Amino acid sequence: MHALIAALVLACTLLISPAARAQDTGAEPEAASGQAEETPAEERATQFVGVTGPEAESIPGGGLLLAAYAVVWILIFLYLLRMRGLQRQTAEELERLSAELRASGGG
Amino acid sequence: MSGASKTVSTTLWSLVLFATLAVFAATLYTIFVVAPVEKQMGIVQKIFYFHVPSAYAMYLGFGASALGSAVYLLKRDARWDALGVAGAEVGTLFCLIVLLTGPLWARKAWGVWWTWDPRLTTTLLAGMIFAAYLALRSMGNAGEVEKRFAAGLALFGLIDLPLIHYSVQRWRGVHPTVITGKGGGLESEMYWALGLSFIAFTGLAVLLIWARASAERQREEAARLRFELMHR
Repeated sequence: MHALIAALVLACTLLISPAARAQDTGAEPEAASGQAEETPAEERATQFVGVTGPEAESIPGGGLLLAAYAVVWILIFLYLLRMRGLQRQTAEELERLSAELRASGGG
Repeated sequence: MSGASKTVSTTLWSLVLFATLAVFAATLYTIFVVAPVEKQMGIVQKIFYFHVPSAYAMYLGFGASALGSAVYLLKRDARWDALGVAGAEVGTLFCLIVLLTGPLWARKAWGVWWTWDPRLTTTLLAGMIFAAYLALRSMGNAGEVEKRFAAGLALFGLIDLPLIHYSVQRWRGVHPTVITGKGGGLESEMYWALGLSFIAFTGLAVLLIWARASAERQREEAARLRFELMHR
């Protein structure tokens, strides 16, 4: 009896496993192609690769470079102007206050 | 400040100023004449030579602000408070430069002006913290409470600085890591341009912090005299 059951299990296994394997191999290419489509979009770039041909300069690099350096100098210049104004205003106020203190007899 | 120490200070300031101007001239020559155009990105990569040292100058400014604030909280000395204000203002200026020059490079390199990358986000956060510091200090003549609160804010902002630095190593993002440990490095002429730019921006940051701290001490003196006149 045990031998009969064992033979049945073996037969079933031998019959089912090729069918299951066939299903697996049928599904595999689809999953693999899906994964291949996702990879470039999701992975972090490890190098910069230049575009060759007419698309290479679609965004003008020179203009962006000029804008960046202009931003740096303009902001520094404006800050220097602001600081100069602040120093001048404070110096005038200090002079006025000192004069007022002297006039009131405390200087 | 005595007459002699004022003369020494002015001479030293002038020396640093001329040295900085000379190094800036050499830096611009090296960037545009000596350093080669980058193979992949083209000429827009040259933004890097001002963008990265600006970020470093931002660290210097915010670091000076946190240092001044910490010592002010311990000693209640107005000179350290002036350093805190000067550092915050200069750091915010360089943070603004970083946040404006970065997108100009990114538009070409990434195809977008802005992305919520960890380094970009933490830099923006630092800028906002120190902008809040400056907003707090600009509300008329700051009293003792406002000064202490602002000093605490500067120390809070200090926590964000290592986050900016290590964000590219700890978290997934798109920001380049060219000159860090994981990076592929630069060509020797590019290193020269970057090195000179670092020196120039250090000189500029030191000069600006120095001048702004001096102006802040004068403002404090004017406030003290006003108070004296009012209570006479």
